[in-house]
Amino acid sequence: MPDDRPNTDFVHGVPPIAVSSTTTMANRTGSWKYIRPIYQDKIAPCNAACPVGIDIEGVMNLLREGHLAEAQDLILRENPLPGVTGRLCERPCEGACNRVQFDEAVSIHAVERMLGDLETTPMAAPKPARAEQVAIVGSGPAGLACAWHLARLGYAVDLFESEAEAGGRLRREVPEYRLPRAVLNREINRIRALGVNLRTHTRVGVDVKWQELSAYDAVFLAGAPRRIKAIDLPGASEVHGVHTAHEFLRGGPGQPVDLLGRRVTVLGGGDAAVDAARCAVRHGGRVTIVHDGPHDSLRGHADAVKEAIREGVRFVFDAAPLAARTSDDPPDDWEGRLDPADVIQGDGYGVRARLVGVEFTRSAPGSTGAAGMTAPAGERFFQPADVLIDARPVPADLDALPSEIARVGGVLAVDAFGRTSRESWFAGGDAAGEGGTVAEALGSGKRAAIGIDRHLRARAGEEVPELDAKALRYGGTGNMSMTRWRGDDPVFRTNELNEVVTFEMLNMAHFARVEAHEDRHLDPDHRGFGWAETNLGLSTEEGLAEAARCFNCGVCNMCELCMIFCPDVAIKRQAQGFSLSYKYCKGCGVCVEECPRGAMSMTREGL
Amino acid sequence: MKKVIMGNHAVSWGVRLARAEVIAAYPITPQTQIVEELAEMCAAGSLKARFIKVESEHSAMAACIGAAAAGARAFTATSAQGLALMHEMLHWAAGGRLPVVMADVNRAMAPGWTVWTDQNDSLSQRDTGWIQLYCESNQEVLDTTIQAFKLAEAVDLPVMIVLDAFFLSHTYEPVDIPDAADVDAFLPPRKARYKLDTKEPHSFGALAPPSVYMEMRLRQQEAMAEALKAARAIDEEWGQRFGRRYGLLERYRAEDAELLLVTSGTVTSTARYVVDQLRAKGEKVGLVKARMFRPFPTEDWRAALAGVPQVAVLDRNISPGHSGIFAEEIRAALYDLPENQRPAIHGYIVGLGGRDVRPETIIDCIDRTRAAAGARKGTEREDVWVGVKS
Repeated sequence: MPDDRPNTDFVHGVPPIAVSSTTTMANRTGSWKYIRPIYQDKIAPCNAACPVGIDIEGVMNLLREGHLAEAQDLILRENPLPGVTGRLCERPCEGACNRVQFDEAVSIHAVERMLGDLETTPMAAPKPARAEQVAIVGSGPAGLACAWHLARLGYAVDLFESEAEAGGRLRREVPEYRLPRAVLNREINRIRALGVNLRTHTRVGVDVKWQELSAYDAVFLAGAPRRIKAIDLPGASEVHGVHTAHEFLRGGPGQPVDLLGRRVTVLGGGDAAVDAARCAVRHGGRVTIVHDGPHDSLRGHADAVKEAIREGVRFVFDAAPLAARTSDDPPDDWEGRLDPADVIQGDGYGVRARLVGVEFTRSAPGSTGAAGMTAPAGERFFQPADVLIDARPVPADLDALPSEIARVGGVLAVDAFGRTSRESWFAGGDAAGEGGTVAEALGSGKRAAIGIDRHLRARAGEEVPELDAKALRYGGTGNMSMTRWRGDDPVFRTNELNEVVTFEMLNMAHFARVEAHEDRHLDPDHRGFGWAETNLGLSTEEGLAEAARCFNCGVCNMCELCMIFCPDVAIKRQAQGFSLSYKYCKGCGVCVEECPRGAMSMTREGL
Repeated sequence: MKKVIMGNHAVSWGVRLARAEVIAAYPITPQTQIVEELAEMCAAGSLKARFIKVESEHSAMAACIGAAAAGARAFTATSAQGLALMHEMLHWAAGGRLPVVMADVNRAMAPGWTVWTDQNDSLSQRDTGWIQLYCESNQEVLDTTIQAFKLAEAVDLPVMIVLDAFFLSHTYEPVDIPDAADVDAFLPPRKARYKLDTKEPHSFGALAPPSVYMEMRLRQQEAMAEALKAARAIDEEWGQRFGRRYGLLERYRAEDAELLLVTSGTVTSTARYVVDQLRAKGEKVGLVKARMFRPFPTEDWRAALAGVPQVAVLDRNISPGHSGIFAEEIRAALYDLPENQRPAIHGYIVGLGGRDVRPETIIDCIDRTRAAAGARKGTEREDVWVGVKS
C-alpha cells in the first residue's frame, strides 16, 4: 500500500509518474522561436495630445504608486503652471485618452490641478548658472514658461511686464472665479524663486528701448497687446452702456459696476464672451450671449459654458449684429421705458444717448431667436439690452514690435523652435500666434527655451545635439519634451518607441470599469454675486484614486502579468523592468498579448 | 446508519466519507445532484474540501489534475457530453498517474438530444487509461466510491465510478452509511509520492522523448495489472470491515448453468429476477455481473464462463460497425480457451438511450439464445438488437 513503498522507484529506467528527475533547464525551448517579444515602452495618447508637452502618463504612474512629490516634480519639469492649466486648459489629453473607448477619460485636468495646488516640494536643482542673459518680453504663460525653463537650464532671465503684476492675459482677462489670483501668484512666485528677474511697469519700446535688448544674449518675444479700438458696430460709439470685453473684464471683482436687473447682451462665442457674461451675472445682470455661429462653433471652454448655463446665461446662435439702437434712435415698435432710477443717479444720460437694444440678422435658419421662435435666415430681430459687451475676437497688435522681424499672417514668423528672422531673437505666445490657449502658449515658451538653449550653447562652443523636432515631440507630433532635450528623464524607460499607443493595442481583460471622479462645484444657488471659485476640484485622495484609473498606455508599470503568464518562466523581475531569457522564450507571444498596456512588442527573430 | 437516499447522493456521501480535499465540477444532468450535495456539504463544513466552480468539464478535470498533482484527494462528476469534453484531460490524468476519482452517471450520447441512460459515454473512454467500475445499487455506489479512492491511490491511476442515469442516479434506496471513523481506518489520508512542491520543484508531464515514452506506458500497463490485485484486496478488506463484498465480477446462481446471462449496471437487478423465476421452474440459467471493466479481469471471466455452453451478453452500448462492447471484450478473452471449454457468445444490444430493459426483454434474449444454440456454435455471429421496432 502507498505508505510502505520506497520513495525512489525507477523501473524500466523511468519513474512511476511523469515527473522530471532533473531540471528542465536543459530544454532550451528558445530554439523553437522565429519571432520574439521585446519590452518596448511607447507613447500614451494623452502625452502626444498635450499642447504643453507633459508626460501625463508618467505623472499618473507616479501617483498610482503614491509618489505625490515626484509626480509634481515630473509635471513641473514640463509645465510651470499646473494650477493654471488644471483649471483653464481645454484638455485635448482627455479627448485623446484611450479610456474614452472603455468608460470615461481619466480626469487629467483635475489631477493636474490637485498637483498644482499642492505645496511645492524641493525638486531637481537647476543646472549650474551660466553667463548668458536672456530678455523675455511679456509675462503671460509663454513668457513665464520660457523664463522657467531657461532659469532651470542655468540662464539669467529678465522678464519684462508692462503692467503692475506678471501674468499677462491670465491676470487681465481670466475672472477670479475661474482662476483665483492666489493660485496664479503662487505659481508665478515659484518661477521667481528660481531667480528670474521680473521687471514690472516696464514697457519695452517705451521705458526700455528695443535696441537696449540687443545687449542680451537672446530675446524671447512672448506677448503682444490686443488691438483694442472703438467697438465696430453702427450706432454703438459714444453710447452709454456699451463696453468692450477687454475693459469690462479688466475691472474684475473690484469694478464698481452695478448691473442689478439690467439686460446685458454679450457679442461673441469665445472665452471672453463667456467670461464677460458670467462676470455680468455676478454684477447682477440678466445676460444673453449672441453668437454669430452655430452651437458647435462656441470656442469658450466647455466647462465655463456649462457653468454659464447653470448660472442663468441665455444663448442665441446664428445671429449677427447689424446695429446698436439707442434712446435717440429706437426701433419703430420700441415702447421706451426709461428707468427713473438711472436718471436720478445722473450717470450720464443727460450727455450721451442710452443703449436700448441691438438689431440682429439671422445668419442661418432654424435657431431659436429672442422670441423663442424659429425664423428664416436673413430675418432681422431686435434684442432689447441696457448693456452691450463686445467680446468678439480681437487680433494681437504687433505694431509695437520691431518692424524688421519678418511677419506672416499678422504675427511674427517662427520655426518649430521659435526662431524669428532675427538672429538670437525668438518668439512665441500671442506674438507668434501661439497664444490661442494657455497650453499652446506654455508649449511655445518651452519650445523657444529649447531653441535658445541650443543656440547659446552652440555659440559658446559646446557640443550640442542636433535639433530634431520630431524626436523631441511626444509621438512625433505632440509638443516637445524638456526632459528629452535635457536628457534627464527620471522615468525608467525600456527601448522607447516614439509611437502613440492605440486602444486596439491594449488588453481590456485586465481592467474594470470605474467612473471618473467628477470635479465638485459650488451649488449655483449658493454662488450669489460672489467671486469665489466655482469649480472646487478634487481632494488629494480623490486625485490619487483618479490617477489610478490611468491605463498607463504604452509604459510598463511592473504589473507582472507578462511574468505570470509566461509558460516558460523566461521572465524575471528586475529592480527596474524585467529580464527576458531568449534561451527559454519560445516566442509564443502570450506576454505581448496579455500586456494590458501595449508596453511589449513582437519582433522578427534575428532582427 | 441507514438512510434512504438517491444514487447521486450515495456518491456524495462516499466522497464525504473519503474526505476528498478538492472538488471541481461543472453541472450536467443527470449528475448535477452529486456536486450540489457536495457543495452543500462544503458550505455546511461537514466536508472540508475546496469546491472549485469551473467553466467547463475540461476545466473541471484540469483542476482535479492540478489538485492531485499537488497531493490532494480530488473528485469530480460528469455525464455524457461533459465526459466527452474531458477526453483530453482524461489522458493527462491517467498518463500523469494521478489518482483522481470521478463519478460518471451513464447517459447516452447526443444527438438526438437525450438525458437517458446507456453506457456509450463511459465506454468511449475505454482507452484513456482510467479504471472503470460499474455499479448496480445505491449501496454499491457508496461502497465503490470509497473503495475507488483507496484503489486509485494504491496504484496511482484514476478511477471512474459508473452508475446508470435515473435508474440509479435518481432512485431512492436504503443505504447503510458507514461510520466516519471506520472509513478513516480503511482509507487514511493520501500520501503522494510525487507532488508539486515549491520547496522541491519538479515539472510534471513534461517532455518524454522516444527514449523513455514507451517505458512510461509499460509502467502504466503494469500498474493496471497491479490494480486487478489491489482491487481484489481492497474489496476483501472492505468486506471484512463492513460485511459487503462485490468482487471484480459477480456470479449469481451460475453453478451448473447451461446458459449464463452477462450484464452490467441496473440491468443486472432485472436479470436476477428473471434468473430466480427460471430457476424456480428448474431451468439451468444463471448470471454473471460485470463490475470492473478496466483493467479487464480476463482470468476471472475465463473461470466464470469456461465450459458453459451458451452465454448471452446484454450490452447497453454499441461500438458502431462492430458489436456490443462487453460481448466483444468477452469473446476476445475466451478465444484461446480449448474448443470444448469455449462457450458460444450471443450478443444482444438492449436499452440504448434509456429504453426499458424489462424481464420480457431478457427472456426474449434467452429464447433467442436457445434457438440459436442448435445452430452454429462460435464467437463470430452478429449481435441481435432486442426490443426494437421492426
